[in-house]
Amino acid sequence: MRAFWRALWAIVWKDLAAEVRSRELLSSMLVFALLVILVFDFALVLDVKARHSVTAGVLWVTFAFAGTLGLNRSMAQEKDRGCMDGLLLAPVDRSAIYFGKAIGNLFFMFIVEAVVLPVYSLLYNTNLFKPGLLLVVLLGSVGYVAVGTLLSAMAVQTRTRDVLLPILLFPLVIPVLIAAVNASTAFLQGWELAEISPWINLLLGYDVIFIAGAFMVFDYIVEE
Amino acid sequence: MQPKPRTLQILDLVTVLFFLAAVGMVFFYAPLEAVMGQVQRVFYFHVATAWVGMLGFLVAAIAGVAYLVKQDRKWDIVGLSAVEISLVFFFIAIVSGSIWAKPSWGTWWTWEPRLTTAAIVELVYAAYLLLRQGLEDPERRARFGAVYAILGFISVPLTFISIRLFRTIHPVVVGSGAAAFDMSPAMLQTFLFSLWTFSLVFADLLWHRIRLGRLAERVEALKLKIND
Amino acid sequence: MLLFDQGPIETTNYMILGYAVIFGVMLIYLVSLYLRRRRLKQDLQVFEEIDKKGQ
Repeated sequence: MRAFWRALWAIVWKDLAAEVRSRELLSSMLVFALLVILVFDFALVLDVKARHSVTAGVLWVTFAFAGTLGLNRSMAQEKDRGCMDGLLLAPVDRSAIYFGKAIGNLFFMFIVEAVVLPVYSLLYNTNLFKPGLLLVVLLGSVGYVAVGTLLSAMAVQTRTRDVLLPILLFPLVIPVLIAAVNASTAFLQGWELAEISPWINLLLGYDVIFIAGAFMVFDYIVEE
Repeated sequence: MQPKPRTLQILDLVTVLFFLAAVGMVFFYAPLEAVMGQVQRVFYFHVATAWVGMLGFLVAAIAGVAYLVKQDRKWDIVGLSAVEISLVFFFIAIVSGSIWAKPSWGTWWTWEPRLTTAAIVELVYAAYLLLRQGLEDPERRARFGAVYAILGFISVPLTFISIRLFRTIHPVVVGSGAAAFDMSPAMLQTFLFSLWTFSLVFADLLWHRIRLGRLAERVEALKLKIND
Repeated sequence: MLLFDQGPIETTNYMILGYAVIFGVMLIYLVSLYLRRRRLKQDLQVFEEIDKKGQ
């Protein structure tokens, strides 16, 4: 068990250290996220009324798109530099590799969200920093990354890898997106708790089920 | 190539006979529905094709688990066959559902939970086929296919629940709501008979598709042998 | 209800369209199964001949 945790944190630490040095992952995710918000503004002509109802949708589409960029890049780096083979040869539990990569990816997601939320608040003069919304962002990102990390490990081994990840990922994370968008809207518009709790339960359920599922099948994906 | 097994020949024959009987029942035995008229007859085969899609969805997930446990290529062929049949029949169910929705709800498409979920299964299975296309190593293709089919099987019910939840909170107004109707005994008999018939259709097609998969595998193996 | 007095709505065209799609797509699938099988059998024959010559 000690070895498991040490391996896990070593992988997380490796990813973060590599990112601090190169900054290629976060910079592309952030620029892309801001571009998506900009595109939405022009495409939907976000006047005050429209903005009110689509804020949650815009936010989650932004996170989802920026997320695939990060997931793709993070796994492709492992593959291209031959790190994945090294990791697989190392005498560590395979699930430590999965959780290590997932935590690293989650961390990058959080940084993007930590930039997007204040920028959006500033641009549209709304306050997105509500504890409820932050909880939804946390739960939604966990579910998204749990599936995304697994699928990016799969996509990176295919011929069509860059295109394939969103195609594989989006149909499976629809429950996360629906629940997260609705829960976010609910918190932003101050609905009653009884109306919000089903969405939070759904997010929690998805997170638990898919973390457990990914844990069980990850071995089959990295097997050589 | 092995000759067609006797059991399959019998299954073919029985399926064709049942299918003809079901068609007969739909058009001549089931009474004309009092409100919607003729279009209600689409309902029998519409539900039956969706049923085949669901059977395929279930079999694909079971075959996925079986493949991961046993590592036997046989299960990969079963899984791929089930996915293909599910894809075709959910497509029929979606299109025939739209055709039924138009006169009864006044719109080709509603974001109704079952219809939307069926559309998402189509996307999941399209992704499944694209994934397999991107992989050359047959063993890896089988493994990844199995994993993805299982993930789809877990995710789709959650999708259904979330759309359902979404629609109860934001009710959509769909025309007069004339699509609800009471089934007379003759209608119920026709409906159940169609379900049985299409279960046979599923079994028969699955068998044929698996045989096709085996043949493809033999050709593939022979090709590799020659190239060596 | 008013509708009941008037009898059913005329929806025969939709019914025909619906069954055209159901039967049509099923037929296309059957034909595709048949064609794929035929092509594979031809391939198999060709490869078996090459295999025999090679030995």
